[in-house]
Amino acid sequence: MKRQITKIALALFISSALFTACKKDNPEEPNDNEVITTMTLTFVPVGGGATVTATFDDPDGPGGAAPTQQPISLAASKTYNVTVVLLDKTKSPVANITTEVATESDAHRFYYAPSGTNITVGNLNNDGNGLPLGITSTWTTGAAASGTLKVVLRHYEGTPPNKALGDPIDSPKSDTDIEVDFTTTVI
Amino acid sequence: MKFIVPIFFFIAFANITVAQPCTLKLYGHVVDIDTKQNLISANISIKELNKQITTDDKGDFVFDRLCAGDYTIIISHVNCDDVEKKITLTNNFHLDVLMPHSRKLLNEVVVDAQKGIQNTGFKKELSGRALEETKGLSLAEALSRINGVTMLQTGSTIAKPVIHGLHGNRILTINNGVRQEGQQWGNEHAPEIDPFIASKLVVIKGVDELRYGSDAIGGVILVEPKALRDKPGYAAEVNTAYFTNNRQYVVSGVFENQLKKQPAFRYRLQGTYKKGANATTPNYRLNNTGSEEKNFSITAGWKKEKFNTELFYSQFATKVGIFIGSHIGNLTDLQIAIAAPKPDDVFLGQTTSKIQRPYQDVVHHLLKSKTTFYKAENKFSVLLAGQFNHRREFDLVRSRSNKSPQLDLSIYTLSQDITWEHPRKNNFSGVVGVAFMQQNNSYSGRYFIPNYFSYSFGSYAIEKWSKQKWELQAGLRYDNKTINTTRLKFNGDTLNYDFHFSTFASSFNALYKAGNNWKLNTNISLASRAPHVNELLSDGIHHGTATYEKGDINLQPEQAINVNAGINFQNTHQTFNFDINIYSNNIRNFIYQQPRPDMPVLTIAGAFPLIEYKQTNAVLSGVDVAASYKITPRFEWNPKLSVLYAWNKSTNDWLIWMPANRVSNELVYNFTDKKTFANSYLSVDVTNVMMQKRMPSEANGKQDYKLPPAGYTLVSLNASSTVNLLKTPVTFSISVRNALNTVYRDYLNNMRYFTDEMGRNINVRLKVPL
Repeated sequence: MKRQITKIALALFISSALFTACKKDNPEEPNDNEVITTMTLTFVPVGGGATVTATFDDPDGPGGAAPTQQPISLAASKTYNVTVVLLDKTKSPVANITTEVATESDAHRFYYAPSGTNITVGNLNNDGNGLPLGITSTWTTGAAASGTLKVVLRHYEGTPPNKALGDPIDSPKSDTDIEVDFTTTVI
Repeated sequence: MKFIVPIFFFIAFANITVAQPCTLKLYGHVVDIDTKQNLISANISIKELNKQITTDDKGDFVFDRLCAGDYTIIISHVNCDDVEKKITLTNNFHLDVLMPHSRKLLNEVVVDAQKGIQNTGFKKELSGRALEETKGLSLAEALSRINGVTMLQTGSTIAKPVIHGLHGNRILTINNGVRQEGQQWGNEHAPEIDPFIASKLVVIKGVDELRYGSDAIGGVILVEPKALRDKPGYAAEVNTAYFTNNRQYVVSGVFENQLKKQPAFRYRLQGTYKKGANATTPNYRLNNTGSEEKNFSITAGWKKEKFNTELFYSQFATKVGIFIGSHIGNLTDLQIAIAAPKPDDVFLGQTTSKIQRPYQDVVHHLLKSKTTFYKAENKFSVLLAGQFNHRREFDLVRSRSNKSPQLDLSIYTLSQDITWEHPRKNNFSGVVGVAFMQQNNSYSGRYFIPNYFSYSFGSYAIEKWSKQKWELQAGLRYDNKTINTTRLKFNGDTLNYDFHFSTFASSFNALYKAGNNWKLNTNISLASRAPHVNELLSDGIHHGTATYEKGDINLQPEQAINVNAGINFQNTHQTFNFDINIYSNNIRNFIYQQPRPDMPVLTIAGAFPLIEYKQTNAVLSGVDVAASYKITPRFEWNPKLSVLYAWNKSTNDWLIWMPANRVSNELVYNFTDKKTFANSYLSVDVTNVMMQKRMPSEANGKQDYKLPPAGYTLVSLNASSTVNLLKTPVTFSISVRNALNTVYRDYLNNMRYFTDEMGRNINVRLKVPL
């Protein structure tokens, strides 16, 4: 009887000692691959002129420090070739997310919704099925005005995604990966 | 399938036409085999009839108005081991029972309380026929058959139990004696336990909670397997079930053996396999709602007169699909989904069982060693257990080539429990115990909760005094817990915190048996729960609710005072039984999530409402009523009612996400046993869940974007019969849930923003003992 108790007590002691003596593991580097921290729109005027950019930047991802956002400032009566670049700055080196979106083009779609300005956005590039993708687009400005321009990236979750030409910006088939309202001025 | 229903009707008619005598008496006398004393307050129950009675001052008992038949009588007493006797009743029958003086010193026996008859108030059990009807369902679905217990669901495949409005870390789930440690803080994290290992599921509140922790503010769930076989030879049983709604099939087998040459050694092998395809609502089938589960367990025991040791290993592995149309990008997406009457067709219609993203993949291993030995009349018990839980959640991701999970949590837990039960003296029995726990949690992928190492020490003492009509119990417990958390951010910053919590719990219970008919029970319990790491350190977007959740490192332990009163009445002829339980749980420092509409979190996907973990004072009060009335000896009516009021005292408003009032009525017809058909019955249940009208107003910040759904009524049918097939009693059962294919949504299902609940589900079950 005494031997049994001793054996059990010893086993107990060893198991709890082993565990309490265990050093805390060095935590692994976090790895959230779905974060997009930065979106930059690059405007190259057709026929020459200075390239304009506008960036939304949240370098530490959601939460933490508040994001910063630049306004879009374009010249009146001009046409721009616009390209979107998406980055994840929480990765080292910085990860280019645009290539992932381009690879999964049938499941993604950019929408550009101007408001208050005479900007027409067209000529969105297509995905593999000939449906709009919008990593590149052409913007034509009218007279001077100011307003906003909402840039939205939608992600189609179905298998297959079933993207259709007429899908509205708030289609129930997709949901929002990016929604940024840029203050926009046409001078 | 189509001809099963007419066959049952045929049996019904055949039985009604034959008259059976139902005026027989079963009476007797119970005595302690050693002391020869009359045993007062021994419990006698007739398993097949859901009847139970206690012996009077002279150790006598009487059952009358019984029908002829074969019965299993179970006699139990606080001082003795159970005695089971099988009798064939053809005339009035006298039974003398000699109860062996037991080594079991504390009343751990929960009497076979089947549907309609429950122990007063604080020990509610699901066993026997009621448990059989849940075979193939998940643990939470089975427990929700107990009055006062509901479920928090995420679709039809994920469910957690809710006891009197409380769930998650406020409930302790004890799996075969070991406190289950997984990621139970998550609303979408179901308990990783196979209900097939259990011969009974018990919900307890009060003094016995203190054996398991000081933090059981909501109660304790015990998942209890049968004791290992005590007779030489082997026994086996196979249970299978098929569910039509999601084409789910379940098969579970158990084999147990006591070696003839070495009767001290006995073992049990058990396994379950479950696979289901996409589920359907009455109007549309939901894509990616399949599931698969593989579980097995091994128990081996060595039992001698004064020494008993048992080793148990179990593995639970599940892969569960989550409805693909429930993914949400931002708040506007959620509001659009809420406004839509049904999900878009792109998310509906597939019948496959293939599981794709989003899905959960969880494995839980448990290894337990329990040794009990006696020294003089003292009983000592040492329990050593190790658990490993690996939870991975695969969300919808941008790139199809991404094979990694977005949530990856591994948690190791070691626990050591030592108890000492002192010998029963002067009507006192009691137990003293110490408990140690060490736990290590690590994550990879997205941050939800930090890495942490935690260790705790606890000790408790429980005393029980019983004499004739009174049973008094009291207990105390103290726990000390340390949590060391670490978090490495992407930029190399580390966030480390150390927490120390002391929690104290106590409980007092008084049970008074007034005559043979009344039992009155009152309980007052104080419980204390330390905040969990998710409440302290959450920091991120919760996609399912389109909110940004933030923890608070300054949270203090919750302190709850729970007052419970119960009345149980049974008439002398045992044709009527009634049980009412009133409770009020006053929780100081109740941790909940408070929206901060003034501080939205702006991200690249838009603005997310901020929701912070805060503390308030809350009170959760309610009443559970259940009755059982034998209108005729074969025809029974079982009504039940459950009402809960949950109030946030600091904001002077209702608490969110609390179960609505519900009432159910069940009618059961028990057929006479015949030579080939036994235990045949047919039942119909009509349950009405009312619309929840008690939820917080928007004055304190909008907490929910969709009003609670309308109330609904569900009709269920059950039928079963045990047929003697080639000398084997094979049990055929059929159940129909939502028989009328009602379209409805439930307030406590996270999927109510997107879809309706499951439509009609017919399940056919077979139980074959070998």
